[in-house]
Amino acid sequence: MSRTARLVLFFAALLVAVPLGILGLIGLPSFGHHVSTYGDVVDAMGTDLRHVTNMVALVTFDVRGFDTLGEEFILFSAVTGVTMLLRGDRGEGTSADPVRIPHRRREGRSEAVTGTARWLGPMTLLFGIYVTLHGQLTPGGGFQGGSIIAAATLLIYLGEGYPAWRKIVRSVLLDLSEAAGVGIYLVAGLVPLLAGATYLENILPLGEVGSLLSGGLIPILNAGVALAVAGGFCSIAIEFLEETREPNEDET
Amino acid sequence: MNLIPVAVIVPLLAAALLLALEKVLPKRLADGFALLVAIFVAGLCLVISLETLDQPEAYWFGGWRIQNGVVLGIAFVADPVGAGVAAFAAILFSGTFLFAWGFFGDTGTRFHVLMLVLLAAMVGFCLTGDLFSFFVFFELMSVTAFALTAYKLESASLEGALSFTVVNTIGSFLMLAGIGLLYGRTDALNLAAIGGALDGHQADALVAMALVLILAALLIKAAAAPFHFWLADAHAVAPTPVSVIFSGIMVSIALFGAARLIWTAFAPLDQVAPAFRDLLLYLGTFSSLLGGLACLIQRHVKRLLAFSTISHVGIMLVGLAALTAPGLAGMLIYLVGHGLVKGALFMGAGILMAECQDIDEIRLRGRAKHLPLTGLTFAAGALLLAGLPLGAIHEGHHLISAAVEAQHPWIPLALALGSALTGGAVLRATGRIFLGLGPASNGEAEGPGKPEHETPGRPVWLMLIPILSFFAVACLAQGPAVTDTVLDLAQGFADHDAYGQLVLEGGSGAREPSSEGHAAPEAPSSPILPWVSVLLALLVAGLQLLRERLPAPLVWLSSLVLRPVFQGLDRLHNGRIGDYAAWLAIGLALLGGAFVLP
Amino acid sequence: MSVLPYLIAGWLFVIGLYGVVSSRNYMHLIGCLTVIQSSTYVLLLAIGYHEGRPAPIFSDHPSGPAVDPVVQALVLTDVVVGAAVSALLLTLVLQLKKRRGTLDPDELSPERD
Repeated sequence: MSRTARLVLFFAALLVAVPLGILGLIGLPSFGHHVSTYGDVVDAMGTDLRHVTNMVALVTFDVRGFDTLGEEFILFSAVTGVTMLLRGDRGEGTSADPVRIPHRRREGRSEAVTGTARWLGPMTLLFGIYVTLHGQLTPGGGFQGGSIIAAATLLIYLGEGYPAWRKIVRSVLLDLSEAAGVGIYLVAGLVPLLAGATYLENILPLGEVGSLLSGGLIPILNAGVALAVAGGFCSIAIEFLEETREPNEDET
Repeated sequence: MNLIPVAVIVPLLAAALLLALEKVLPKRLADGFALLVAIFVAGLCLVISLETLDQPEAYWFGGWRIQNGVVLGIAFVADPVGAGVAAFAAILFSGTFLFAWGFFGDTGTRFHVLMLVLLAAMVGFCLTGDLFSFFVFFELMSVTAFALTAYKLESASLEGALSFTVVNTIGSFLMLAGIGLLYGRTDALNLAAIGGALDGHQADALVAMALVLILAALLIKAAAAPFHFWLADAHAVAPTPVSVIFSGIMVSIALFGAARLIWTAFAPLDQVAPAFRDLLLYLGTFSSLLGGLACLIQRHVKRLLAFSTISHVGIMLVGLAALTAPGLAGMLIYLVGHGLVKGALFMGAGILMAECQDIDEIRLRGRAKHLPLTGLTFAAGALLLAGLPLGAIHEGHHLISAAVEAQHPWIPLALALGSALTGGAVLRATGRIFLGLGPASNGEAEGPGKPEHETPGRPVWLMLIPILSFFAVACLAQGPAVTDTVLDLAQGFADHDAYGQLVLEGGSGAREPSSEGHAAPEAPSSPILPWVSVLLALLVAGLQLLRERLPAPLVWLSSLVLRPVFQGLDRLHNGRIGDYAAWLAIGLALLGGAFVLP
Repeated sequence: MSVLPYLIAGWLFVIGLYGVVSSRNYMHLIGCLTVIQSSTYVLLLAIGYHEGRPAPIFSDHPSGPAVDPVVQALVLTDVVVGAAVSALLLTLVLQLKKRRGTLDPDELSPERD
């Protein structure tokens, strides 16, 4: 099919689909005036029932916690898939630099970059842990915290260079972190099951509202997700960078 | 301890373990471990299915149920049909793991990890009673499948995986948008709650749009025309064990998901839009014919089988679109029969790739004479696909035809023709590859440029075990006992009110034994139709193989008529993502348009 | 009565799909898929919004009526799905580029054209 024919086909479809779509969309409740009974019940009872202040985290990790397990495995499968599809004959070698463009002169790393990264890296890591731990209280949680932690390790790459980064952040550790993360989620659900409750039921002590240890199971699940996300995102970054790295002479 | 969550958790846990232990596990252990897990899951799902025979069971995750009249938590609703389909998926996985023994040497355990997650996703997809977790498992299925498709990293497999990924991801977003619309209307994600909120209302534009979006996503996955283009590209290039799962269950499970939604959330569908129902019937019939015709011009054996899957899923779609319990029962029996036979045929193709180091029908001509048993299974599979009155495929086909023939007497004929074409194409391939019949070329579309092969040196007898057992089950699963049981189960599955009661009111959900008996299928549309279909398949295969010996005018005439058709088909399935997306838009417009028709 | 945000979601969907249909570069095509995905974010969040209500996070304001937390949780899942699919797609495109040397979806391998 030529490109013109394809576009004609597409616009012919739009001619029918767009009016129908508009008709459907204007059937929604007026914007800004939708009272969702589901959301309202959660908002009204959440703090009393689970001693948490972040209702989104309550929905994600407790009320609809099983969805989040599936969601974690979506990420897990994607990372497993990426590492499987970018397999090649590469070792753990770390000497060369990735992302090199031929014929471009290589600038040395400026001290300002190294200095900033050294200062910023630990701060970012700390911030990531903070966001994870406060998931049940303030905006954030394992997904957000985990991505920030992964970003913190990338700052090592920025400041210290690729070899140093690879020495500190080992692929094996990342795989373990990912598996442990999803494992924590799975097992944290199983424990209540063995105790006679249902899967993922929040039967732990709930703690004080507003304290770091409130919410029972929720902080544990958050920590598991953070581990899995941090490990997964780092793995993806390493795999893509490795793909651009010229193999060393000793790894064939 | 309740078994329902365990069926999903165990394969996930096994996947996490395999990933963590990748570096330390001995090589073959992963094969055996994955096989054991799949068998365990199959057993578990069978037990759940048997336990819920009289009374489906709702399982509320996290103990969240209904508060202030609002369904809060996620419920799994285990019923014999859902658990049965999950068990069937796990059985296919068991056979596949056995077949794939020693297949994946160089990637550690990644293949097993992804396959186990795929299995868990299918089990969850079958059991869930919540629309959003339905989406999550649907997407989990897709993501693992995307990665598995590209495993070989040849450019054809990468292209196939890309069109698969892009088209199916658009489908996921369609489904998500549909879920959002339904949530905006009903404030609910639980299927029974949505059904309760929509019950008794005329479907307006919003509900119609939500239904179209969600159904389109499922039809994309089920590869119904005009959403089917990605399938042949992906199934042909995936590693054979993965193709077995894709063609055997992943397409048809989407239709099962559609059935679940239609009879829980969208129960009054048939009163809403007869034109919509008819459109689904036509799309199914059209897919069946299109897939069958496209089969005839393939020389890449796996691509041929992939097109035949499109054809047979079309038949299943017809069963679903009948929107009656007998039609559904036919679809379910067909799903099992087709999954077993097509899975076994793909495994046969896998043996060819391992033993003969090629998958191109023309180049393989006569080169597989040393594999008589594989050849026999190919021939048997072809005849079963063509509609030989034996086994589950025939049983299902018969129920489906009976369900639609009163209103559309021509559809059973078209479906028989579609089966005959795919069966004929497979027979032709069998004759050429295993007997060396036919000319060296037939004017089929171009085959693969270079020989494709898969891990050689695996024991053929080991690969034949799952093939032969699949055939045995597919042939034995027939007779009035099977039909009656499945009819009964399908009737329970289609009981919208009992489902709602079970989930929302904690009612027993027990089915009253239907006193009036189920609408037993009428006398077969025509008892000779299957035989005609088989004869036609033999004729198609014979004509294609003996082309050179036919009188010249006949050949000239047939090529005059058929060549433009075949060339057009070939040009349509060109692997271009842009074209596929444009067809997707056409499909959406068709589905939407059918709703506004009176 | 306002439906503008919903229509914007619809618009994003349509232009994203147009991009996929007409794309001449896989990287661009992945971007277009992301646009389609954004439309689902806009749709879901718009459905959950309620004028004048605060965020459903009661750490600095007393609990009470707030906007819908459920759709926000759904969008979180959606974001993860998007990240997962993008990573896979980029991998596929990278490998294809290595083998074929082109990023044009319309340029197919010799055996297919």
